[in-house]
Amino acid sequence: MNSTNYDACPECDLLLKPAQLKIGEKAHCPRCGLLLSRPRKQSIERTFALSITGFILFFPSVLLPMMGITVLGDANTGTLLSGVIALFNENMWPVAIVVFLASIMFPLVHISLSLLISGHLYFKRSNRYLVTWMRWMYHLDEWIMLEVYMLGIIVACVKLMAIAPLKFGWGLYAFIALIIITTLLTSNLDNRLFWQRIEQLRKENNNAS
Amino acid sequence: MQAKTNALSQGFIRCHDCGYLVKTGNQSLSCPRCNSHLHARHPHSLQRTSALLFSSFLLYIPANIFPIMTVNQFGAGDPHTIAGGIVELIDSGMIPIGLLVLVASILVPSSKLIGIGLLLLCTHFRWQINARRWTVMYRIIAFVGRWSMLDIFMISILVDLVNFGEVQIIAGPAATAFAAVVILTMFAAENFDPRLLWDNQKNL
Repeated sequence: MNSTNYDACPECDLLLKPAQLKIGEKAHCPRCGLLLSRPRKQSIERTFALSITGFILFFPSVLLPMMGITVLGDANTGTLLSGVIALFNENMWPVAIVVFLASIMFPLVHISLSLLISGHLYFKRSNRYLVTWMRWMYHLDEWIMLEVYMLGIIVACVKLMAIAPLKFGWGLYAFIALIIITTLLTSNLDNRLFWQRIEQLRKENNNAS
Repeated sequence: MQAKTNALSQGFIRCHDCGYLVKTGNQSLSCPRCNSHLHARHPHSLQRTSALLFSSFLLYIPANIFPIMTVNQFGAGDPHTIAGGIVELIDSGMIPIGLLVLVASILVPSSKLIGIGLLLLCTHFRWQINARRWTVMYRIIAFVGRWSMLDIFMISILVDLVNFGEVQIIAGPAATAFAAVVILTMFAAENFDPRLLWDNQKNL
């Protein structure tokens, strides 16, 4: 019934014969030019390692102060979370919720999911929730805006420097490291391979039982 | 080189979530690999996209008219609109940063509204166009959308840090409208199905 010999381009629906790619090669759709697949070296191992690192880095970057400012002898520091709370206190709760989701909640969920999935695949454990996790992770991808937040920090710094001297804290350094890790994570995570492995695991599991 | 055929015309549906290609003969409407519902194209793509686009177009007006933040200094309030903040940055000599904010909070949202509008018109009236070029346009629109959130994040940082007795920054009503515009246009881009552009082309 199901044909796995073929593939379709997600953006122009061209019927394709998938190429057997080596590491370092890329496959583009011949009709619309979309990057179809790009196998990565040791995708599962690297995703697992990067997820652990990201998960650890997440907490200092949310909880430790990122920046401090001193005006007329009064000092103020800000964290990712305190920005959300400040908006909430001004009755800007819709904006506060959006900022909370895009910069704290979704990144945390995404990194936990990739930790769970790559961990299961690394230790070759099957789990009936793997499929659901993969789908969630796929849909969350676009709503993680850490690198946009970083640009927001830069613009805010430029504006604040005109008012008062600034100080940077460990939260900011952890945050920068977290952005690097999540960028590496998304580029090393090979969706196609992950789905294939999940299917394999399920088949092996069905045969064993 | 084999003839270029759409997967759908050969009876295949690509799972939107996991990319699995399913032969549709057996009428099973969920993906055998990931269990999600199968749709040949995004359901009600044009209706959903146009509804979201229209709402974000309406919200774009208050987002630009009302102040996005107010700087209170020693009792005197100084409201800033989105455009006002950029003019101030450029005036004070921060030209690269001013241009960055100009691109992220004015050029990107407005060209996104126009771009998605054009994509909708194109699919609705079945214009015969260079589908590859239009797909690239769609890809760019879908990619740049999130960067407009820059302004919102900047405000959350400023509101938090500049909160002293005499000097205070308060977020304005335009912030809510602007955040809604960014999110609605992101949903609009997500709901638009670029494969519709290709379906309408008579000679490929």
